[in-house]
Amino acid sequence: MKRDKKTLSRRQFIGAAAGVAGALMVGPTVLNGWSENMKKLNEADVAYEDLEADVLVIGGGMAGLFAAVKANDAGAKVMIVSKGRLGASGQTPFAKGIFIYDPQKEKVSLDEFVNSVSASAIGTNNAVYTRQMAEHSLARVAELREWGFFDSPLYNNAFSKPIGQRNIPLIERVTITHLIKEKGKIAGAAGFSVDYQKLYFFKAKSVILCTGAGGFKPNGFPICDLTHDGTIMAYDIGAMVTGKEWNDGHAGKAENAAACFDGWGTMFERKPGLTGVEIHHDLGVDMNYVAYKTGNPVNTRGPGMATANVVGGPYRPAEFQRNGPPEREPGPGLAKRAPSGGRGDRRPPRGGDIPKDGGPPPMMGTSVGGSSAGMAIHKSEGLVPINDQCESNIPGLYAAGDALGSYMAGAIYTQVGSSLAGSAVQGAIAGEAAAGYSSRVEKVEISESQRKIIQKEILAPLKRDAGYSPAWVTQTLQGIMIPNFIIYIKKENLMRAALTYVEELRDHHMPMLRASDMHELRLAHETRNMIISAEMKLKASLMRTESRCSHYRLDYPDMDNENWQAWINIYKGEDGNMQLKKQPFGTWPDGSEL
Amino acid sequence: MSIENINGCIGCGTCVATCPTDVIRLNKQTKKAEIKYPADCQICHLCRMYCPVDAITISPEKSIPVIVSWG
Repeated sequence: MKRDKKTLSRRQFIGAAAGVAGALMVGPTVLNGWSENMKKLNEADVAYEDLEADVLVIGGGMAGLFAAVKANDAGAKVMIVSKGRLGASGQTPFAKGIFIYDPQKEKVSLDEFVNSVSASAIGTNNAVYTRQMAEHSLARVAELREWGFFDSPLYNNAFSKPIGQRNIPLIERVTITHLIKEKGKIAGAAGFSVDYQKLYFFKAKSVILCTGAGGFKPNGFPICDLTHDGTIMAYDIGAMVTGKEWNDGHAGKAENAAACFDGWGTMFERKPGLTGVEIHHDLGVDMNYVAYKTGNPVNTRGPGMATANVVGGPYRPAEFQRNGPPEREPGPGLAKRAPSGGRGDRRPPRGGDIPKDGGPPPMMGTSVGGSSAGMAIHKSEGLVPINDQCESNIPGLYAAGDALGSYMAGAIYTQVGSSLAGSAVQGAIAGEAAAGYSSRVEKVEISESQRKIIQKEILAPLKRDAGYSPAWVTQTLQGIMIPNFIIYIKKENLMRAALTYVEELRDHHMPMLRASDMHELRLAHETRNMIISAEMKLKASLMRTESRCSHYRLDYPDMDNENWQAWINIYKGEDGNMQLKKQPFGTWPDGSEL
Repeated sequence: MSIENINGCIGCGTCVATCPTDVIRLNKQTKKAEIKYPADCQICHLCRMYCPVDAITISPEKSIPVIVSWG
């Protein structure tokens, strides 16, 4: 076979790839071996590696860290795979505040905390998960402190400590595209290396999705590597998904809107800190409504003042109204804020001095919306839990953190700092539960027929000589979904119009996504996930004919407690089409009370 | 352009591993980091913060791709 001189022979390649995989597995700090991306796909040069674990943790953020540690400590053989780097991808690296509830110090009882969150969430929260987060937060924070988490603004070292101590194999820069189900339960997962022409098959009794949330690669928020991957691959094998109608309402600044670092002042460079009990009703779509009514510049001097000349808009419970000028909003991981009691409201970061108590700086200048477009309120979207153990409706499949639709905080931002704490708590719960499950079941083999289908699906974009680039399809999708009048200030005719466009992308363009190298292959799979997620968002938003929390319908501006005290679950029907059904608030999917 | 330049790189690969959106790669010939996929930079500065020799400079500007009918 004639070879390009720049191309390694298959034998050389497999040797090199195996060496890197081996090196990565002994510790997370080995950083050799990355090289220029290889362009031409030669089927014979594609390498394969099979790996095995009892519990496979997908994702290396806060949830993934605790899932791996606790599953290991419960006796399971664990492996972590991440498409990024441990503690340095997803939203975790940018989350600088973590909630603790210390029963010895807090003035409010756990019951009062849960009740207050439930009042702000207007029924949308799952009180079992609300309580669980607060109850376990102190213990998780203590462990993080021991690992050195609070000593550096960069989390990779602290995260590497417990993983290294336990010799938990860690595979980075591998994008998982498929969950594998055999005989009705989890059999593993599959994906590819972004550095080499190499596919991975993971055999596992149990998988914990710690894959974070996602968006439409929006400008101004550090979520361009998050595309709801876990949610979509779980949906593909029959998992129920929830929360797609809700929105995170972060705005950005007009000047250099894409510069998320600058938008948060220097918050990303700070060491993490602690937050205590504070209940809010923030970060919904109030500002989007004002922007829709008045255009830019939006008067951001506070909801009371900003909305003085604007009639209507999202409902805010009376006890969570704010007076006076706004101050700051929590960061992606809900950074520490000013004490509650009149100051502060939802508003975008704008630069300026960093407050000493940790929050993002006060904003200045003109804002633009859609900074986090495609993402819902933390933990309101993701897999539907069937119990308090982070378990999905697929036996062996668990999720934790932003990949789990736990409704821990409800469909509006209610708890300061709880996002990071919730990911830690849920990761630990899921890890122990998955370890328990895997000790009770036999491993299921991955069938040859499934392997062949998955290999073909993973590599398909690389094999196309013609088609559509992921960057162009993504840009087109952004143009359809991100406008304020589609995703935020919703009405039926425009959502139906957008859905028609999204269905075109799904039916015609998605099957023709092409990739010229492994980097673009990752983009192609991410683009597919965003298209399916857009379809989910529009269909759930159309179904919910009311306004509540961070979902606002211009044509149904009121809350409808008669018909809509319910979450919306999305699943793939037997015909392959997307199905939606209600699950009453306060119940598990089988109808039993929480 | 978001990552403006990488100057004084020692080729350790930390930035390559750290970039959440896979913007940077090591050049096989020079053994130094290079900006390989600039369009995917989310301007989060993680690469700069992790770089052990402060070699990376980042600007807040990002050019938005032009709108075309297919691509």
